[in-house]
Amino acid sequence: MRRSRLSISLLAGAAVVIGTLVVAKSAIASERVVHLAGWGAKSGPLRSFGVNSEAVLKAAIKSVNDAGGIKMGDGAMAKISLDYYDSACNAEQGIAVARKVASETGALVGMGPTCSGVAAAMFGIFQKKVGDAGDSGLQFPILTDTAVRNGLAKISQWTFRNTPNEPDMYDKLFAWLRKTHPDAKTMYGGTETDQGHSKGTYAKVILQAAKRHGFTWVGDGIPELGTKIAVGWKEALDKSSNWLLADTNFSVQARAFKRAKADMLVVSAHPFTTCGMLKELKRQRIKPKILVGLTSSSSDETLKGCAKQAEGMIIPTSFAPINDTAMMVAKLAQKEGGSADLHSAAAWENIIIIKQVIEEQGIMGKPETLKTDREKMRAGLANLETTAGLLGQVKRVQEEGEALKPFVFVQAMAGEWKVVHDPR
Amino acid sequence: MEYYLGIAQTIGIHALLGWSAYVLLLTGQLSLAQVGFFAIGAYVSAILTTMFGFHIVPALMVGALLGGFFAMLVGFPALRVKGLMLVVATIAFTQFVSLFFFNVHWRRDVDGVMAGPDSTQGFREIRFYAANGWDTLDVTLFIWLFVLLVMSGLWWLDRSRAGTVLRAVGADDLAAQSSGINLTVAKVTAMTAGGVIAGLAGGLYAHSATYVDHLTFSVLLATFAIAYPIIGGIHSVLGTLAAVIFIQGILIEGLRFLGDWRNILFGLLIILIMNLKPNGIMDARTMRTIKRMFAGGKSADAK
Amino acid sequence: MDDIVFYTVEITQSIIDGVLFGSTYSLIGIGFTLIFGAMHKLNMTYAAASLAGAYIGLVFFTLFDAPAMLVFLAAIVGSAGIGLIVYYICFRYIPVENHLAALMASVGALFFIDEIVIHATNASPLTFPALFDDVMLELGPFGIRGDLLFVFAVSLISMAALWYLLYRTRLGLATRAVSQQGIAAQLCGIDVHRTNGATFVVAGMLGGVAGSMIGASVGILSPLLTLPITIKGLIVTVIGGLGSIPGAIVAGFLVGALENIFLFVRGVNERDMYIMLLLFVFLVFRPHGIFSRRAERD
Repeated sequence: MRRSRLSISLLAGAAVVIGTLVVAKSAIASERVVHLAGWGAKSGPLRSFGVNSEAVLKAAIKSVNDAGGIKMGDGAMAKISLDYYDSACNAEQGIAVARKVASETGALVGMGPTCSGVAAAMFGIFQKKVGDAGDSGLQFPILTDTAVRNGLAKISQWTFRNTPNEPDMYDKLFAWLRKTHPDAKTMYGGTETDQGHSKGTYAKVILQAAKRHGFTWVGDGIPELGTKIAVGWKEALDKSSNWLLADTNFSVQARAFKRAKADMLVVSAHPFTTCGMLKELKRQRIKPKILVGLTSSSSDETLKGCAKQAEGMIIPTSFAPINDTAMMVAKLAQKEGGSADLHSAAAWENIIIIKQVIEEQGIMGKPETLKTDREKMRAGLANLETTAGLLGQVKRVQEEGEALKPFVFVQAMAGEWKVVHDPR
Repeated sequence: MEYYLGIAQTIGIHALLGWSAYVLLLTGQLSLAQVGFFAIGAYVSAILTTMFGFHIVPALMVGALLGGFFAMLVGFPALRVKGLMLVVATIAFTQFVSLFFFNVHWRRDVDGVMAGPDSTQGFREIRFYAANGWDTLDVTLFIWLFVLLVMSGLWWLDRSRAGTVLRAVGADDLAAQSSGINLTVAKVTAMTAGGVIAGLAGGLYAHSATYVDHLTFSVLLATFAIAYPIIGGIHSVLGTLAAVIFIQGILIEGLRFLGDWRNILFGLLIILIMNLKPNGIMDARTMRTIKRMFAGGKSADAK
Repeated sequence: MDDIVFYTVEITQSIIDGVLFGSTYSLIGIGFTLIFGAMHKLNMTYAAASLAGAYIGLVFFTLFDAPAMLVFLAAIVGSAGIGLIVYYICFRYIPVENHLAALMASVGALFFIDEIVIHATNASPLTFPALFDDVMLELGPFGIRGDLLFVFAVSLISMAALWYLLYRTRLGLATRAVSQQGIAAQLCGIDVHRTNGATFVVAGMLGGVAGSMIGASVGILSPLLTLPITIKGLIVTVIGGLGSIPGAIVAGFLVGALENIFLFVRGVNERDMYIMLLLFVFLVFRPHGIFSRRAERD
């Protein structure tokens, strides 16, 4: 008798729970929702990128939803819902998440990953050319904000990026430095050689741009170093004093920097070794006329690691809180637990771009139209000639799926990144 | 379905990597060098398919054989080093291989695109599968063909004299030597076999991920390779597979719904499993229980 | 002639910097070797625990603007505490003969500790206080960093303190007894579990010194440090001889100095390959390390 009463009450309880869930689900279902997915490194030493990217995405989505949402193809307003995953800066996890989002969820577009190595692997599993029936790659649009290594979006016609274009940024930077420091002639530098972005930008972009604007390498110079991208990069690396991305001892490199007695020093690395190198330069009392850094180090991390020693470092960046919207984005990102920098701020722009494409292409956002919606999203992204950026209009490089973003030059002053020149 | 097939691919590749360490663990050698052979197999097979248009099967075979060849070269000096010193020596070897590939710049013009390993920019677009119309199911079945081949090979090994010889060396190499077993042959053979399996796994990895660079082949991956047979237990070949399913299937993919907590729990669950089952998930006791469950069912049916 | 002078000065300077910095490698190596000597097991968590202790010290710096010495002290206490916890969850309850399970459990603990630090700091590099940061002793063409000299001095003091503990106290006696003959030690009334736990605490304290000295000499802490320091520590331990403390000390200085020399002579891309070759050379010609303990048949 007791057992049957127990089982009856258990069944009743279960029925109540299930009933509530069903009612709740249908209540939610009656509200139109656009599903978006994002992923990045939320674990491992590169966690800050995932945290920042997710924070800006959440802030942007909240702002769009608060203003009413997105107008769908049938005129109804829909709110955005975001699922953010951790790809742990691991290629296998990045690919797994991309497959999960594409095949198990109703997401219209994926925003990620944050690590360039993961992007290189992940983009490779997508269909290379749209409409190629013999290509079994994934058919799902991707719009990336952080992974910045050169030349990735062109791997597939489904993959797009909204990341800064470093050749243009450094070219304009050295043009301006040439004007403001007419007495600075010689240069010397180093990079973290086991990090693709740092090394690639240093040896193929920065040094050539500097040469283009009249800076020469110290001593006998580097005769092979040309003014075009990548010319003489091997010889340039050989003559520089380099380190690895997790190195802790920079005394040998710093002494080489000191011996060089150059007017301008270039330290092309991420915040950890940039700080390590800068602290060593300070110890050895090396004070160049100009100190140039890598775009990725124009972030909070550098200031947290070595605000004092970074004093005076100049870096071109595609994000700085120099207008009302940018300042608002920076504040809202902080509220969501992250910070807006040149990597994560693109995530805000991406949400605006996605809203624009959905409204232009008349995307319906219903479960039965998922396949056509994704194709429309891809077509819409491919068709964009310009997009709205936080610092001004962004031009799209359509054949590659890349962006040309406006930028400013910032300098570390009194523990902050202050804008020293606005070339827009 | 794509997602689950993809996980199955990862489990298959990691199971092969785990078995390459398992074979060595049988002989008592704790080797973190397997990722070095994995890397060699990955780069060699990817170079053959992407830069020279080979079909994937011969490319994988060459990768596996080269993995085995270099493993044999490592096997001889490894004889001199025992226990935890071998751990450190093999860590150093894996770092060495990774640094070697870090310095490789070799690209060829293939149909207008520069393809090949390019140091820190990586080896991109290893797209044999997608370019030849193999869908995710095809690739998964392909990988599992090799998984079943290697698994049955190792299963057979355990039922043969060769397996007993290897385990004897692992249990007590002085006693094994006194019984007439040639330690050099046993250990180097195990190392070579491990190298072949790892090379095969590397080739399969490169084509599934479509991209490799020197950072992929890290000491962290080597730690995973040895974790699988330790957590799974060396009592049975299935142990390694069970551990891969546990780590890749459950801990990494299955726990995604926990969000940020997934990564914190990862380490804790490994500690827990090692305290609860120090001889591995599929240790002797568990295998006996499983056998009894099946046998008990049979005899119940027979009634 | 100028060239020879230049190279001599540079190499000597590299050696000086390398030896001073290498004292931190020695400390990490000693930590690994202490636990291996006592229990014949490898505690893979050691470097991560030492750095985590330094992070704990950093909490005092960021929240209370504590002076550097207090930060170092907090690091020592923090590391010791973490060491004790690691002992309990990875070594205490796993059967003594099972080396692999303890090793894998400590690998799990390494992942766990690393992730906690990463989550707490969002993996951002954080500035770490140093003493005598701006002091540079000039001896002719050579410059000796004041803060490295301090790190070196602290490391030497810790090694001396350790020696005193091991050879002049009862705890040290118990530790040595347990490591030489566990069963006989038990028969003499020594509590093996308590002694091993105490060894972990002592190693932890040393690790706290190492972690804070590494932080002080680099000037920044980052989770990127965990794996490279673990590997370097293991290399130092093996070159020095597993279980030999004087070996770890000498090996630390050796690796520190050679690292800088390889860097100067061959550049950073090949530097680590030469360190690996150095390890292989030692394993071939002196497989039991610089000061080897007689190999026992376990």
